[in-house]
Amino acid sequence: MGKRSGSKRKDKNKVILPPELPPEVDDDAVDVSDEDIEFYSRNEFHHFDQEPIDRYVKRTAGDEAEVERLYEEREKRKALRRPREENDDLEVDPVDALPIKNLQGELVYNRAKKARSEENTGSTKSQENGADAKQGINKDEQTGKSKNKKGGDKVKNTQSHIEVPKGKLHSDVLEEVKEELSAEELFEKKKAQLAELGMAMLEEPESNIRSLNDMLSISNDKDQKVVKLGLMSLLAVFKDIIPSYRIRQLTEKELAVEVSKEVKKTRYYEYTLIRCYKAYLQKLISLEKQPHFYSVAVRCMCALLDTAPHFNFRESLLASVAKNLSSSDDVVRKMCCETIRSVFINEGKHRGEATIEAVRLIADHVKLNDCQLHPDSIEVFLSLRFDEDLGEDETEEQKVKPKKNKHRQNQEAPKPLPVSDKKKTRRELISKAREEVDADLRAVSFTLDPKERKGIQRETLSALFETYFRILKHSMSTSNLRSKANIVSPGASHPLLAPCLEGLGKFSHLIDLDFMGELIACLKKLSGYSDRQDGTPHDNTLSVSERMQCCIVAFKVWRSNLEALNVDLQDFFVQLYNLILEYRPDRDRGEVLADALKTLLWEGKQQDMLRAAAFIKRLATFALSFGSAEAIAALVTLKHLLQKNSKCRNMLENDSGGGSLSCLVAKYNPEAKDPYLSGGLASVLWELSLLEKHYDISVSSMASNILSMATLNPTQNPVPILNVNPLEAYRDLSIERELSKPASKALSLNLKKRRRGKEFVALNPEVLRKADCSVDKQELEEKLQSHFAVLRGISENERLRAELNHTLSSINMYKEYKKQKKKNMKSKIIRKKVARV
Amino acid sequence: MAKKLGKKARKFARKNLQSAAKRNRKIRNQFNNRRPRRGGSGAREDGDEDVQQRVDDATMATNDTADALIDGLEFPEDDIEIDADLSDSDGYLSEDPGCPYYSDSEDGDDVKGSIMQDGLDRQNDDMNLDIEKQKRKLKKLLDKDPEFANFLEKWQSELESYRSKEDSDEEDGMDSMDDDDDSNDANSPDTKILTTKTISEWCQLVSKDPKSSALRNLLNAFRDACRYGVHSDSPSMQRFQSTRLFYQIISFVLSESDNIFRALLEISDDANKGQIMNLRNSKKWQPVDPLLKSYLRNSLDLLSQLTDNRILSFVLTRLRASAVLFSAYPSTSSRLLKILFRLWASGDQSLSLSAFLMIRQVAALLPDCLDLCLTKAYNTYLASTKLVNDRNTKHIDFLMNCLVELYSLDVQKSCERAVTSVGQLNAILRQASKTKEKEDLRKIDNWQYINCVNLWVRFLCCNYKDYNLNPLFSQVLQVIRGVAHLFPGTRYLPLRLKLVQMLNELSTCSQMFFPIPSLLFDCLEFREVSQKEQTQKTKVNFSSLLKVPKNLLKSRDFQEECVLSAIQVLSAHFAQWSYHVSFPEVATIPLILLKRLHEQTTIESLHRPVKRLIDQVNENKDFIERKREVVSFSPNDKASVDSFLQEEKSSGNASFTRFYASIAENRQPRGRKTL
Repeated sequence: MGKRSGSKRKDKNKVILPPELPPEVDDDAVDVSDEDIEFYSRNEFHHFDQEPIDRYVKRTAGDEAEVERLYEEREKRKALRRPREENDDLEVDPVDALPIKNLQGELVYNRAKKARSEENTGSTKSQENGADAKQGINKDEQTGKSKNKKGGDKVKNTQSHIEVPKGKLHSDVLEEVKEELSAEELFEKKKAQLAELGMAMLEEPESNIRSLNDMLSISNDKDQKVVKLGLMSLLAVFKDIIPSYRIRQLTEKELAVEVSKEVKKTRYYEYTLIRCYKAYLQKLISLEKQPHFYSVAVRCMCALLDTAPHFNFRESLLASVAKNLSSSDDVVRKMCCETIRSVFINEGKHRGEATIEAVRLIADHVKLNDCQLHPDSIEVFLSLRFDEDLGEDETEEQKVKPKKNKHRQNQEAPKPLPVSDKKKTRRELISKAREEVDADLRAVSFTLDPKERKGIQRETLSALFETYFRILKHSMSTSNLRSKANIVSPGASHPLLAPCLEGLGKFSHLIDLDFMGELIACLKKLSGYSDRQDGTPHDNTLSVSERMQCCIVAFKVWRSNLEALNVDLQDFFVQLYNLILEYRPDRDRGEVLADALKTLLWEGKQQDMLRAAAFIKRLATFALSFGSAEAIAALVTLKHLLQKNSKCRNMLENDSGGGSLSCLVAKYNPEAKDPYLSGGLASVLWELSLLEKHYDISVSSMASNILSMATLNPTQNPVPILNVNPLEAYRDLSIERELSKPASKALSLNLKKRRRGKEFVALNPEVLRKADCSVDKQELEEKLQSHFAVLRGISENERLRAELNHTLSSINMYKEYKKQKKKNMKSKIIRKKVARV
Repeated sequence: MAKKLGKKARKFARKNLQSAAKRNRKIRNQFNNRRPRRGGSGAREDGDEDVQQRVDDATMATNDTADALIDGLEFPEDDIEIDADLSDSDGYLSEDPGCPYYSDSEDGDDVKGSIMQDGLDRQNDDMNLDIEKQKRKLKKLLDKDPEFANFLEKWQSELESYRSKEDSDEEDGMDSMDDDDDSNDANSPDTKILTTKTISEWCQLVSKDPKSSALRNLLNAFRDACRYGVHSDSPSMQRFQSTRLFYQIISFVLSESDNIFRALLEISDDANKGQIMNLRNSKKWQPVDPLLKSYLRNSLDLLSQLTDNRILSFVLTRLRASAVLFSAYPSTSSRLLKILFRLWASGDQSLSLSAFLMIRQVAALLPDCLDLCLTKAYNTYLASTKLVNDRNTKHIDFLMNCLVELYSLDVQKSCERAVTSVGQLNAILRQASKTKEKEDLRKIDNWQYINCVNLWVRFLCCNYKDYNLNPLFSQVLQVIRGVAHLFPGTRYLPLRLKLVQMLNELSTCSQMFFPIPSLLFDCLEFREVSQKEQTQKTKVNFSSLLKVPKNLLKSRDFQEECVLSAIQVLSAHFAQWSYHVSFPEVATIPLILLKRLHEQTTIESLHRPVKRLIDQVNENKDFIERKREVVSFSPNDKASVDSFLQEEKSSGNASFTRFYASIAENRQPRGRKTL
């Protein structure tokens, strides 16, 4: 603040500089920068109103403080007067607030600006040439002046008193000025001022860098609208002028060295820029807490982070944005997610440093909030990109790393997964050492060498998985805790689990082998697998989709590690086998089911025959009870299983009572929980014969296609009709897809022209019979007669009424008649009298 | 009715329609100069116009409201009125003076003495007394001051001249002002009082020989009877002195005229439009034309006059016989249709039915009218299905069936309409699924939309076997699936159940397999029931609901209704495939759910029906399994699969079939089954 007020004073001093004095003569204590001088020498001041300047000329230095106080007062009052217009337009697009520089380099002014220019045509030229703060303030006075013209008397008065004590004079004038300015004008003025400043900044940032201070001070305004405008204008300016490098603090040594004027100028520029930027960010962060400015502040921060992730103070920006990832405001959250995603994707802008920072911040955030965040905050991780070979030369790197810093590990927060401590420590060490090296490297070069890049990515990865594991652990502990709670709202208690599992699936190839066992155990538990002794699977509070996702992730992890891992995934098959029956079309996500079928069954190489048979039977039954999309996914899987396990093809045939193959279970039990005990091999796939009648042509043709396998010999496969995996098949047939497809063209129905005879098709013959029995003659007569009577009564009534009215009016006429008669009598009498007279 | 019309309207008619009537009369005069015309024959013209206009207004009004109700679903209706021959006809037929008129006063049953003792009669009596009193008063005044009589006369004549100035056509003397009455020829048949004897004589004459000139007289009498009361101060009112007479004329003409005209024109019972059109140019037509026209037009007048449902349906039944005769007069038939559709949509069942039968007759016999019929019927249906409550579900169902009947007359033609309508439904659905906005969703979540879908489902069911309607079929299917997808959740269970019923219907007619259970899982899912007992039983009736009110969601009744409805549709599904070789597999998953529900539910009343369904399904499952164990064919042997258990199916003796029949029967009386 001290700085700012200082600069303000500087400006004031400039304003009150007597124009007749040449700038070089000015030996004021305030230092005058080169551009100021330049400006003064360039601009003629004759168009300035003489009066206000005159007024200030005589001012002594002691009055400065007084004037400032008055200015502040005026601001306050303005702010008081203004609030009612705030509602009019709260958000002003930065595009409107600032002039636009078009391709030709000409400045295009917005409307407000134009209005402004008309007002001060005299000064427009100078503005365009690069007006600076002084100009703006001068114009303030001008405007005030022009408004004052009405009360010219007063001005003259003050002018005549110009010789009397100056302090009083100043306050008088200021008082008047602020009285005259209406709130609206003030707003317009500020807007225009912002526009001018911004435009100047954009045009020549080097020479006008100090305008940033003014803009900052404007955005300290009491008027919220003005503040928003100021923030947006500053954002636009910063977006434009922030350099593509990070500004470094000068060392003592460097400062001591004598530098050329050019360098000095640049240093000054950078210094001001960084100072203002810092102030701006501080302002944003403080405003973010006010609900009124919340979205504006976040928007500004997002935009800044998006454009300048390499620049100074990125950390605070990232912290704010990451915090708002789980904002309850949808718009803000979307904005933050987009920003973080763009940070992840455009790593070239910041060499991946921001990525790691962001991931860490989110990780901390998840930790702090005990995993109760909006899913979006984790979903952004899916946009992370890692090099494919990241995991490979890890071991080699590890050897290089010294084992010195082991003690540091103890200070760390307890790891969510205490396994593989050793590995973690190592990685930690690697990263620590890397960081140091990085710092040096960064100073030297712009490009990252692959090693460094790998290091950063590895760190990111570890933070990422730390988050994921934390969420998994958390889900496990809570699901155990709440095992007795009802399962009305599955999924609600673990908002982060779904995106977490998705992420694990996506990055499964990067998971450290040492984690694998733990992870699989964790997933097994989450997927609802119980050792058959402890209660029903309902104890699990996870939704069916989430449990299926667990299975999918387990398989992905296993498969992406070249299936080298020696884990028993049998339990997941059992899970899936049971989960298929729990699936509900509207509650659960069909895509997850299809994905599970694809991952577990379709992509698998060789299946156990018993298990395959059990799945085949269950999928066929499943297809009978569920919609076409689910059915086709099941059938695609089924067909694949039959192709892979040719022995199961016996199920397609009915050999003397059930399946031909002898197995443990002689009779198929559809409700069995264990695929091995269901006796699937003993069953016949009768379902397919009904599925051939399915309304959906693709399902029915798939069913017949599968049935055609029966006649082929085991090595032959039927003509492929649908060469897609279950997931694609599901998507193709889902009703959303169907509805989003353009409506089919006008149907052309080619019907045999056949006119139906007289027979009825839809109406119940009983109903028809009822109509034919004619109305009873007696009843009809009565009804018709009463109808007639009513009509007659009505007409009679009407006739009588007319007659009555006629008679009544005739009687009434009698009165009239009497009156007339009397009149006649009177006139007669009068006439008689007249005659007599 | 006539009273309701009011004097203003009549005045308006007199004022505005008279010039047209006059012009028409003049034209007629030029044409029919040779024909002897009695005075005052045109007097009825304006009355006729009056009725016509009123009817038009009434139908227009209903049309307007209907338009406002239906948003975008209805077919565009172009109301081109062929007014040309509306006004060129004169209801009155010149009579043969040779016909006997019996003037007797044997009319014993006066109106006053008739069964009717309603308020009007008493009022009339009161008024009579009043008039008498006032007249006495006036007479006293007149007696007291004879000069007043002169004054009064002067005033009255002033009034007259004022009135005649008002009605520019007054001097024509054609109008039925009270004091103009005497200007009519005393011998005019208009004023000739009809007696029962006269009518009986005429009837006999006509019955003996249809060509008898008495037919003219009879039809004139019929005309007057039909318009009785329309124009209260008309002289023709005086022609009817007894209620019997009125009945005699109307019943005779209605019941006999069809035979008479057919005899006159020498056409058979199954004459079609072409024959009539050919006849029009023949010589035979000329003398009959005015008679026929008069008869038809007057019958329509009668239809628009009558208010009693029974008589209306009687008239309609009679008129139906001569439906084909309307083909000669397009404008009359379009007017007929307007009246018919109004009556059809009315709530009374027998009247609706007779109106519909007439509509169907007209649509079948007059190909020109088919388009109009289809459009109007569809729009009327949509307008009357806007609101559904417990009472009108049956009526709507009836209307829907009627519509299907009508659309099945010419499937080729109606298919185009069906495609248009289903296209509209589909477009609305797509829009809603794209935006997911409340407003768009509301366009689907309403009765008009659902009833419209239901209509086409029914249409498909009736015609699927005989025609290749596959493209339409798949479109309708898509709409049903889309709607089910767009409205998930417990609240929309009634809507969903309706869709499932539709799917069941489609499945039955097309013999295709639909995975019904996937839409019913929500119903079979166990839900918490709110613990607090409701004090009064709230009746949850799914047939008149699309969306369950929120306060009922956790109620016991809702849960109960839910499960019972699900059992209903599920057993329909099972019943359809109960003889199929893979029935055990069809039932597997639903059975698991049913068992779970049976274990978990806390509602006592549900235990029994659920258990019963489980047992029945299990029994049938065992039955099929036993049967299929002994067969030797494989699933890929289509022919064998199709013939599996066909004998049992045709005999229909399996326990599940009987079970389903009993379920369907049980549900019907409770009025819960909509379809």
